[in-house]
Amino acid sequence: MRYLVSLILFLTSSQIFSQETFTLNGVVTDVSSNETLIGVNLIVPSASTGVVTNDYGYYSIKLPQGEYEIEISYLGYKSVRQTIVLNSDKQLDFQLQESSESLDEILITSDVEGLNIRKPEMSVNKLSINTIQKLPVVFGEVDVVKSLLLLPGVSNAGEGSSGFNVRGGAVDQNLILLDEATIYNSSHLFGFFSVFNPDAIKDLKLYKGGIPSKYGGRVSSVLDIYQRDGNSKEFKMQGGIGAISSRLLAEGPIVKDKGSFLVAGRSSYAHLFLKLTDNENSAYFYDLNTKLTYNIDQRNKLLVSGYFGRDVFNISQNFENTYGNAVVNLRWNHIFSDNIFTNLSVIYSDYYYGLNLNFVGFNWDSGISNLNVKYDFNHYINDDLQLKYGVQNTYYKFNPGEIEPIDDESGINYFKLIDKYAFENAFYISAEHKFSDKFSAEYGVRLSNFFRLGQDEVNIYENNNPVEYDAERDIYREAEILDTEEVSRGEIMKSYNNFEPRLALAYTLNEKQSIKASYNRMAQYLHLISNTSSPTPLDVWAPSGSYIKPQILDQYALGYFRNFNENDYSLEIEGFFKQIDNRLDYIDGANLIANNAIERVVLSGEARAYGLELLLRKNKGKLTGWMGYTLSRSEQRTPGRTELEPGINNGNWYRTNYDKTHDLSITGSYEINTKWQLNANFIFQTGLATTFPNAQYEYEGITIPVYGERNGDRLPSYHRLDISATLNPGAGKNKKFESSWNFGIYNLYNRQNAYSISFRENADTGMNEAVRLSLFGIIPSVTYNFKF
Amino acid sequence: MKKVFPYISIILVFVFISCEEVIQVDLEESEPRLVIEASIIWYKDTNGTEQVIKITETTPFYQEDPAFVENATVKVFSEDGEIFEFAYNRNGEYRNSDFNPDIGLEYELEVNHEEEIYTAMETMVPVTSIDFVEQSESGGFSGEDIEIKAYYTDPVDEENYYLFKFFNEDTSLEFYEDEFTNGNQIFGYYSDEDIEVNDIIEIEMQGISKEYYEYLFILRSQVGSNEGGPFETMPATVKGNIINESNPENYPFGYFRLSEADATTYTVE
Repeated sequence: MRYLVSLILFLTSSQIFSQETFTLNGVVTDVSSNETLIGVNLIVPSASTGVVTNDYGYYSIKLPQGEYEIEISYLGYKSVRQTIVLNSDKQLDFQLQESSESLDEILITSDVEGLNIRKPEMSVNKLSINTIQKLPVVFGEVDVVKSLLLLPGVSNAGEGSSGFNVRGGAVDQNLILLDEATIYNSSHLFGFFSVFNPDAIKDLKLYKGGIPSKYGGRVSSVLDIYQRDGNSKEFKMQGGIGAISSRLLAEGPIVKDKGSFLVAGRSSYAHLFLKLTDNENSAYFYDLNTKLTYNIDQRNKLLVSGYFGRDVFNISQNFENTYGNAVVNLRWNHIFSDNIFTNLSVIYSDYYYGLNLNFVGFNWDSGISNLNVKYDFNHYINDDLQLKYGVQNTYYKFNPGEIEPIDDESGINYFKLIDKYAFENAFYISAEHKFSDKFSAEYGVRLSNFFRLGQDEVNIYENNNPVEYDAERDIYREAEILDTEEVSRGEIMKSYNNFEPRLALAYTLNEKQSIKASYNRMAQYLHLISNTSSPTPLDVWAPSGSYIKPQILDQYALGYFRNFNENDYSLEIEGFFKQIDNRLDYIDGANLIANNAIERVVLSGEARAYGLELLLRKNKGKLTGWMGYTLSRSEQRTPGRTELEPGINNGNWYRTNYDKTHDLSITGSYEINTKWQLNANFIFQTGLATTFPNAQYEYEGITIPVYGERNGDRLPSYHRLDISATLNPGAGKNKKFESSWNFGIYNLYNRQNAYSISFRENADTGMNEAVRLSLFGIIPSVTYNFKF
Repeated sequence: MKKVFPYISIILVFVFISCEEVIQVDLEESEPRLVIEASIIWYKDTNGTEQVIKITETTPFYQEDPAFVENATVKVFSEDGEIFEFAYNRNGEYRNSDFNPDIGLEYELEVNHEEEIYTAMETMVPVTSIDFVEQSESGGFSGEDIEIKAYYTDPVDEENYYLFKFFNEDTSLEFYEDEFTNGNQIFGYYSDEDIEVNDIIEIEMQGISKEYYEYLFILRSQVGSNEGGPFETMPATVKGNIINESNPENYPFGYFRLSEADATTYTVE
């Protein structure tokens, strides 16, 4: 409330021109670990102004000469007040102490309550890692992506499907950044777990709309995750033992107060038990997060971070499958002057998919790798205007696949699918601008550019048409390849330029309410080639080029934001509409695996989604939590290219695989005492869209189902209740060794939710029947976490 | 390579606790559509005169009995001007006993049913021979299922497509292209947990066209491997090469094709 008042004061005050102004800047860190803190509020009540720390904990503010009291506040930390005398430019770092009482822990945090209604930022969700760690989850495995699913506008294509869908967008339309590096596949075990080790994560933010011009290359959302830097004061360890996986993290100083390291590992171990039972099959995953941070001086800091994760499946020595992401990232924070903060990143990121099919006699390798250089500037012009600008360049190499015979006896010939290369560049600028006490805006533009570079073989088709329509049979098929030519890698085969305006406006009605609106246009040059309901790890990424155009999104959102009861409660209502051009769809019978020319099996269509989101939160007290509800529709269509062609699904709109009309989640957390906390989730969702058969026939001795309208049917509604209790046995005692237990029950009332409904011929009766497959019934779990 | 999806679905079931239950789902019923199974097969070392074309209609999904079509007239014309009339026998089967198969010759099918004329053109496709059959016991995901490999040598200088039919209790269809195996000795593969010692397995290898291979590819994506869930492929309309000349909207299902075939039987040891 105090901040709110000060902000009102700030916003209503007039500019002071008479006095000389100085810049105060610095970094805000955690006192016990020197970990930089993102999104800390620094407020100067007497000058009625304030600033928020950036992704590297840095702030800069201009003030007239004088004496000020500064209030520094951050979620989960004790607020600090400090008086300073400003008569020259000054660098001042602050250190905050974690508040031991977690009673007034806020579950989802937007920016400090009250401030959020004034910032133009909308359609953004943040989840604190503390919150994520308390949510009841399947097998007790804390999971970042699963937690995001509890927010409005975020869903997935069912239990055990990969990735997540934001506002009716596809999984490949999410930009997932881990320490600024692109992660291509966010799932372990085909989607049952996400690739992020919660212990190693400091902060995460999901942009569903109003996406700032800093981000680009994906059209649906941005999930921006920052890893922890590591403790530069003392050596610490933490970890956990769960039903599926265990975690261990070590961190400590390299040079005390100047440099730190962090190493975190996680691995599943169910396969070890399988081995004990003489089962030759195994499935496991592991990942490793590392980070080195070094403060060279007040103005320079180096950060090196790395991630390596793999999933391994092994079926009786006949079949082995390995896939995962790898990332290495070097960053240099440099403060040019008191009001210009810069970050230079050099990032290598890689996604690998490998398959070993012993019984057929070959190995298969595929992947995508990219080298990315980014230079980002935060320029604090004055209290009312902050500029962010920068350049980003990415070089991609796509390996669509390589087949290698296992030995001389294998009947398989060596075969290499043609590697593809591309270069993506962008320049962006955006301004956060306060126009008046009631009106502020964030506006910017991103100029993006994509070069598809030459490759060893380029196919030539008649009339430049890779997909042929057979009017007589009324089917699409791959066009004949007339010839191939070699284009040198230095040559640009096709280029695209896009102008991507971004705009977000906030208008404050009164101190409790505001209205916000946003528009963003975005371009996506990479396409995940996937013809299944949810992506699989072996799906390959394909670049835009002569035949495949980039996806272009236009999204509009309008929202109403309100705080109640001294900010105990808050309400966010948002409506959105988005339209995506050049969404790929696949011709019937499209073979996507080991296909050297994907353009021969795809047609370009469009997608659209619209909906209403509601988020009601209780932020304070013994009981905290939120209720999120989404009413939405997500569809796509691919009309014929000419009047004579039918397109896909007769050119009609059809629901996407992740379309859910209603999506409700309620999450609550109740603090009984300092030792015990109870948590619960309830989820209700419309069943996923699917297609049921409406007839059958026999052909060559096999029963063939005839399907009705694409995605015209639905699975039964999905709902479940999960509960968990967290016990901190040593809470309150200032012990060196801290531990906690988490007891959970997933799907408490054992609802048999349909994972799929399939149809088959009963082997005994010969009759057709419908079969419902349910994955997770009631599942109890125990997880033990420790820290010392 | 193209069969990785079913493996993944199987892995999922292996790894996670899942529960399968037969449930009642009410389904819509679409208008019946003609189904023409016109597979002219010429076995090596026979004269190939006995041929059958089967005509049925689609039925509601849960209906047990097939709907046989008895009132069609069925003819096949060869490029050389021969006409083969197929007369109705029973169970939707139309027979001709004087067929004259010829490799590389083009044939035309004409079916007349309820005032609508259905036609298709196709060429007879040759096939190489089965070299030998081998058995081993490391098949399937248990690694202990019996697996049958029927070896053949792919001709190096042409693009070939193969259909393998394995009859045990049920029919199993496997089809291959030679993109990654051109010119090699390779095998048709069959493995099933129900294969037992002393089972007599009938094996048939047929030469098929690229178009028919593509048709089978779509057909199979609609059955068998399509277990639903996240790895489900989008349902497709499986259109064959038979055109309804009178009313294109009322297209038939099925396919007209002519294949040379090599057949053998194998007793599981």
